[in-house]
Amino acid sequence: MKKRTLMLAAGLSASALALAGCAPGDAGSDAGGDSTTLKVWSWQAASSPDWERIFDVYEDANPGITVEFEGFQATEYNQLLSTGLAGRDGPDVAMIRAYGGAQGPIQAGQLTPIDDVVDGLDLFEPTVLQAAQGREDGVTYGVPFAYQTMHMFYNKDIFDENDLEEPKTWDEFIQLQDDLLAAEITPMALGAREEWVLPMFHDLIGSARYGGSEFGAQVQAGTTDFTNPDYVASLELVQQMQQYFDPNVSAIAVADATLQFTAGQAAQWPGGSFDLKVFQDSAPDTEWGVYQVPPAPGSVLSEAVTPSYADGSFGINAASEKQEPATDLLNWMTTVEFGQLVGDELKQFSPLAGVSYSDPLMQEMNDLYLANPSPYLLLVDFRYGDPTGTAVLGPDIQAMFLGQKTPEQLAADLQAGISTWFTPGS
Amino acid sequence: MTTSLAEKTAVIADAAPPQPSRGRDRGRKGRNRREEGPLAGRIASNVFLWGYAIVAIWPLLLMVSNALRTQQQIATEPLGLPIPLNFTSFQEAWVTASFETYFINSVVVTVGSVLLSTVVSVMAAYAFARTRSRFFHGIEALFLSGLMLPVHLAILPLFFMLDQLRMTSNIFSLILVYGALGIPFSTFVLAVFFRQLPLELEEAARLDGAGPFRAFWSVMLPLVRPALATVIVFRFVPIWNDFFYPLILMRDRDSYTLPVGLTRFFGEYSTDWPQLFAGLTIATIPLVIVFLLATKQIISGLTSGMSK
Amino acid sequence: MAIALPPRRPRLIRTASHAGVHMRFGSTLVFVLPALLLFAVLILYPMLAALSYSFFGWQGTNRDGFVGFGNYITLLTREPYASELWGGFSHNILLFIGAFIFQNSLGLGIATLLHKRKRSKRFFQTIFALPYLVSPMVIGYLWSLMLSPLFGPVNAILRGVGLEGLALPWLGDPTLAIWVVVFVTAWQWLGFPILLYGAAIAGIPEEISEAVSLDGASAFQRFRYVTLPLLTPSIGIITVLTFIGSMEAMAIPFALGGSSGSPAGATDVMMLLFYRTAFESGNPNSVGISSALATVLFIFILAISVGITRVIRRAERKLY
Repeated sequence: MKKRTLMLAAGLSASALALAGCAPGDAGSDAGGDSTTLKVWSWQAASSPDWERIFDVYEDANPGITVEFEGFQATEYNQLLSTGLAGRDGPDVAMIRAYGGAQGPIQAGQLTPIDDVVDGLDLFEPTVLQAAQGREDGVTYGVPFAYQTMHMFYNKDIFDENDLEEPKTWDEFIQLQDDLLAAEITPMALGAREEWVLPMFHDLIGSARYGGSEFGAQVQAGTTDFTNPDYVASLELVQQMQQYFDPNVSAIAVADATLQFTAGQAAQWPGGSFDLKVFQDSAPDTEWGVYQVPPAPGSVLSEAVTPSYADGSFGINAASEKQEPATDLLNWMTTVEFGQLVGDELKQFSPLAGVSYSDPLMQEMNDLYLANPSPYLLLVDFRYGDPTGTAVLGPDIQAMFLGQKTPEQLAADLQAGISTWFTPGS
Repeated sequence: MTTSLAEKTAVIADAAPPQPSRGRDRGRKGRNRREEGPLAGRIASNVFLWGYAIVAIWPLLLMVSNALRTQQQIATEPLGLPIPLNFTSFQEAWVTASFETYFINSVVVTVGSVLLSTVVSVMAAYAFARTRSRFFHGIEALFLSGLMLPVHLAILPLFFMLDQLRMTSNIFSLILVYGALGIPFSTFVLAVFFRQLPLELEEAARLDGAGPFRAFWSVMLPLVRPALATVIVFRFVPIWNDFFYPLILMRDRDSYTLPVGLTRFFGEYSTDWPQLFAGLTIATIPLVIVFLLATKQIISGLTSGMSK
Repeated sequence: MAIALPPRRPRLIRTASHAGVHMRFGSTLVFVLPALLLFAVLILYPMLAALSYSFFGWQGTNRDGFVGFGNYITLLTREPYASELWGGFSHNILLFIGAFIFQNSLGLGIATLLHKRKRSKRFFQTIFALPYLVSPMVIGYLWSLMLSPLFGPVNAILRGVGLEGLALPWLGDPTLAIWVVVFVTAWQWLGFPILLYGAAIAGIPEEISEAVSLDGASAFQRFRYVTLPLLTPSIGIITVLTFIGSMEAMAIPFALGGSSGSPAGATDVMMLLFYRTAFESGNPNSVGISSALATVLFIFILAISVGITRVIRRAERKLY
């Protein structure tokens, strides 16, 4: 029996070559009708209810349109989106990663160009809009919805109980961490098991040390690279911080760390503006504060900076049969009404001018950002090739926390990884 | 896994050399005598078996227990008991986290595809057992080869095909796919069974003027019931557990089955531990029920490959 | 073999006298057709098409020209495929080795002990089989919660009994994470070998064992010269099954480390690599490359399964 089966399989395999590959042809279009449902995909799973409230406003103003919002796990989103864009029943409108992260679907022709159909793109800063543009064609494919800023969040109650204050200098910053340790409180919670967290943490602690956008410009020009001593020193700061985490920090997922912070088991949270809503929702009675990490000794920049980046944009699936209603939705996303909803419901910063923030903490965060912004370098500039800067540095910082690599090695790895696709001056 | 490995055993076992026949009745006597071994050995054996039983069952018990506790209890006391019982997490997972939808989809898909594959397989198996045509024996061998093949790897063409037919995000396509995947195992088991049924009954029916369809329906089908039970139970488990096909073929939350729903759920409610445990428990309970109802079928089915 | 054998009867010799029972071609076709259609459309065609896809270049979902083995060469030589393929492959092999060791030590031991039980046998079998029946997805997520460093019960127990040093970052350290995946996979799988070995041992004729005992053979000798040779076919079958299962593993690594096999690809396996490659946006030829990967995997699984069967057959002949 077995032999026969094998022979059969062999025969079939041989004939397989004759089989033509059957791939999907053109899509028929039967859009229109009275009611249209737009499927919107996002990686902000935790804020799904907030997004749904935002789209409720749009639905109320546009009878016949239903927006079906789907929030996915952030770490699985890229994979799911490429699966979704490959087929015919993917999303109509999807959150697209910013800068380099947008290039995959753009190059694959999976997104609709929107320069000519969406008004109000000129309302965005060119640097922000760049996040949603093709690197090669300069065409815009998405409407940016938020920018994120990075801060050190802290639990005010813990600070008050222990008579602690926001640090103004690096020495005060270190003293604060040591005081917390002495009080047997974990100083910082960090979801270091998830790679994306770590390059962010590095920028939060070390951006001023390596020189923020100045350094970025020099790398672009080719006058320096990531093996620069200042950059290495900024990575050493990350290593120095390890003592202020839970001893098993490398196994802690973001969800666990969030629980640790919101349950009052850790005093501070080095994170992004996107985290605020989660904290406020899960521990409504706790009061939160933010500060920027003061520049470490030897820093290139003399002031504390606020690293930031355009988070992502909403683009239209080129295979969607609902191009028109999808375009209408994107047009709405360039209005202040939408921006204000992003600020109010999501507690995230809208890149549109004229949005005000009623939450005092948000206002404080935005002021910090406006005073001394600094690009989240690896995300903004070094995601245009494979491997991306964050894809190298994330696992490498994990290795450093496990004692397997030194800051020098990290810088060298980063430079080597980037060099495979990046040439200065281009 | 869609074609469960247990199913594959059946076929590979068939290819293995025969074992010496066993002497079951005489074996019993011998065993009784052996059970009175030295005391120390018996204690050691007890410790070992109970020890591993705890290792095997403890995580599952913990899952249920933590689903019945609150976030606060889990955070402060990871090993506490669920006192008092707290069912709110189940309620939340069921309603707000759409487990109701996932659950219903899983039930529909599992029942539908098991029915489909069993119906088409029992017909085909009967024909295989009664045909003399080399052509159909070839088809039977072809079906059989489906048991050994890593069918997952053919997902791309399947996806394109269903996409072109606009059948992605449609649980009916899952029913068809799982139905097809069940054919190799089900026809194999049923054909073996049909071949061992006596021919006289059927012959009598045919002499009375019944056609092959009547003979199949009123004579053979009732006789083959035990094998049908095995086939149904054995297909139920891998289909209920599979996450690969829905992960790729289902994009709409409304069409998710439980295992894929879980992946979504873990992203969305990642900080709500009791609810996570409740979700896992909901996905497991139906299996445990099936298992307890059909322990005999499962254990004898799993092991039948050996007891030639 | 048979599953749920019907009552045994003297076997009929199927001679012409029973010819009336055989079906004609036409009616046979009617019986077989529904199954054949389903099978051909949903299994056979996709399998053959996947093979043919791998020999073409692709632009998204449109087939380009014939490229021969081009996709295979890309897969085996170009980064990141080459190193990810090797990484994933080695983890699949570890999964196999882990399960193999567990089932042939612990599994065989438990099956042997259970054989001597009369009343508690079914009870233990039920408990041991439970993890095997639960969805691998559930198992994976369950262990990821259990191994959480902050609130997970595993580290809580270790700390509780004074083994602070063993309360490790299980899923955070790449060198540990893969062993966690190996362990969890083996843990879930073990119930199946226990049941199979149990049945095989039950099939060993008691009189052989007794005869050897009377000859003064020690327990070890009895195992080595009676039980082991008679168990070899079962060991072979389970080994092949374990191998296929290890190569197709996806749900547990996915639940423990996500689709990219975090941390740092330490829990990556070939099915995850296939999943990632198949729909990779930005690479227009993802269909071609992933189909090549599928074919390589397919041939590998088939070849090794046949190889293992051969080795076991030879071992069997030696042991007898």
